[in-house]
Amino acid sequence: MNTQDLREHLGGTWTARPDGWWRPMELDRLRSAAAGLKTGGARFVALTVRPDGALMRLAWHWDLAGTLLSLEAGLTPGAEIPSLVDIWPGVDWAEREARDYYAVAFSGRNDTPPLMLREGDAPGVLLRGKDGQ
Amino acid sequence: MSYRIPIGPYHIALDEPYKIEVECEGETVIGASLKVGYNFRGIEWLAERKNITRSIALMERVCGICSNVHSMTFCLALERIGAIEVPPRAQHIRVLMAELERLHSHLLWAGVAAELIGFQTLFMTCFNLRERVMDLLEAISGNRVNYSMNRIGGVNRDVQDPQAVREGVRAVRDGVATSLIPIFTTDRGVAGRCRGVGVLTREDALAYGAVGPVARASGIDQDLRRDAPYLVYDQLEFAVPVQPGGSVYDRIVVRALEILESCGIIEQVLDRLPEGPLHGGDVYTVPPGETVMRIEAPRGEVFYFVASDGTDTASRVKVRTPTFANIPTVVPMIRGSVLADIPLIQGSLDPCYSCTDR
Repeated sequence: MNTQDLREHLGGTWTARPDGWWRPMELDRLRSAAAGLKTGGARFVALTVRPDGALMRLAWHWDLAGTLLSLEAGLTPGAEIPSLVDIWPGVDWAEREARDYYAVAFSGRNDTPPLMLREGDAPGVLLRGKDGQ
Repeated sequence: MSYRIPIGPYHIALDEPYKIEVECEGETVIGASLKVGYNFRGIEWLAERKNITRSIALMERVCGICSNVHSMTFCLALERIGAIEVPPRAQHIRVLMAELERLHSHLLWAGVAAELIGFQTLFMTCFNLRERVMDLLEAISGNRVNYSMNRIGGVNRDVQDPQAVREGVRAVRDGVATSLIPIFTTDRGVAGRCRGVGVLTREDALAYGAVGPVARASGIDQDLRRDAPYLVYDQLEFAVPVQPGGSVYDRIVVRALEILESCGIIEQVLDRLPEGPLHGGDVYTVPPGETVMRIEAPRGEVFYFVASDGTDTASRVKVRTPTFANIPTVVPMIRGSVLADIPLIQGSLDPCYSCTDR
């Protein structure tokens, strides 16, 4: 499946950017989209998290033959995001890192142990202010 | 009866802090769990508090082996956000530095692999060749580790003596072609330690998102230099070595062939190195915007997400290093292996724990 076929298969509105194709994603459709990307032969690349005012913007990035395909969702505080670990084992560390850095919660996992932090450390280390608090 | 053996985070079999807890039945590994984070330095946090000029030096310290890759990717991201043109000569010099870095990274790895195999003379041969590359990097940049070559919109230094680079690269290629590859591919001791050992299947490599030589040694034909070209890679001829077996031996072969390809790329760059400026002047801010930038580092795809709010400091810098993607593949690689092969199998990833943790 080429990138155009895959985008059509996944549906929704895709925007071309210099770094690839981006699509806003409804959280309730995230898992089916991830499964579709797997069927289409894409490779999981990374999960990015970025605070944006009161929202937390998350983007899951895949690669198909060198083209970046990104699904982006805005998260309100306290909301949980469906985990993709059972579909993509490679997402495990990305989700654990998102929890460490931005205290993002993922549902559907047995547990989300810290990756970069130690057991017992408070998650959200990148949310600390300039004074480190 | 199974038993668990913790290795690390500080252990003679590990080059950097990292922990693997192995579950065995007799001598056979049946499972493992991994723990990283012992080198966590909060580089992404720091990058959002230092201006972009200082952050170039910061990103160069993500990794001690592929330091140039990180400053270059960061600069490429900012240049894309700011639509900043990089002069052709600077683009060629960036490719030259990237391929020299790949040479020294792969040769260092080959030496470490030889040492893990127990082949000390081969280790010395690898490091002797690597020193030739280190001499070239030092001659161009003045530094052996953090080269400080990249700036936003170009490079800081020129290649003063292209002929010396050409001769050095030719010596490396001859050494690899006449010594390293024949020994690694025909020696019975090497074959006994590496062939069929630590297999990562194509399916597992895809499921875990493996990148770089690890993925290519498992039959996955991917290389961003060809698939999503940046700088002047689309104007250069090179092959992407792929091996189907997924074993330690396949990872050796892929990296050895990549050394030869990198030598060819460097020679092409020197043949066509255009005249012109090295940069377009000082840049202290870029307009608001965001982008993903990916390049093919020695260990595989490096991923940067950089966002700017128009000030002199990036509002978000996300770094995903190749080893971050590759380390989890250790678990399927060592399952079913002999306990004593774990150091070599782990080493065959060419792992960098510091850049994983950042």
